Amino acid sequence: MTTFQVRGMTCAHCAGFVTEELESLPGVESVAVDLPTGNVTLTADRPIRPAEIRNAVEAAGYELAET
Amino acid sequence: MSDLSAREFVANFFESFTREVVAGGDAAAVVDRYYTPDIEQVADGVTLDRQRLIDHLRPVRKNVISCAYDVHEAIRTADRVAARFTIHAETRRGRTISTEVYLFGELAPDGRIRRTTQATRDVSAS
Repeated sequence: MTTFQVRGMTCAHCAGFVTEELESLPGVESVAVDLPTGNVTLTADRPIRPAEIRNAVEAAGYELAET
Repeated sequence: MSDLSAREFVANFFESFTREVVAGGDAAAVVDRYYTPDIEQVADGVTLDRQRLIDHLRPVRKNVISCAYDVHEAIRTADRVAARFTIHAETRRGRTISTEVYLFGELAPDGRIRRTTQATRDVSAS
């Protein structure tokens, strides 16, 4: 399970856009978004590289918060 | 707009706004046609002012191809509106994200939205 924060999500559709992109990554089994905090929890059947997450988040039009 | 029924007002407002958003053009100008400069939109605990609303249009434009609105019920007085409706957003990946919205809003005399409080839930077909 991987948890990270996404900036810029402000409504249920934003959460849907980010979820859609992350779910398109091979091996991703589930994506859960907590809208008020921007926290995203992802589970996958393989290690997901940070660059893959960043690319997917940016493809949806949002930013990955620096950790 | 005062001749329209409340349901028509809500449907026309959001359909027209979304059409302009998706069509492109200056995001600030689009927002200013539909929302007063002191807009405060609180949706699911997230507060948007005018600038955040404008910023929100960029990812919407990137992801949404079209939107359809089903307004299930609505009530409108001179400066208040309440509505329950479902937004069906078709994304560039071919998925439809459906969100039911419960909205309470305050209107300016010119029909623009000044303040809204909204709760939403995802009703997309899985």
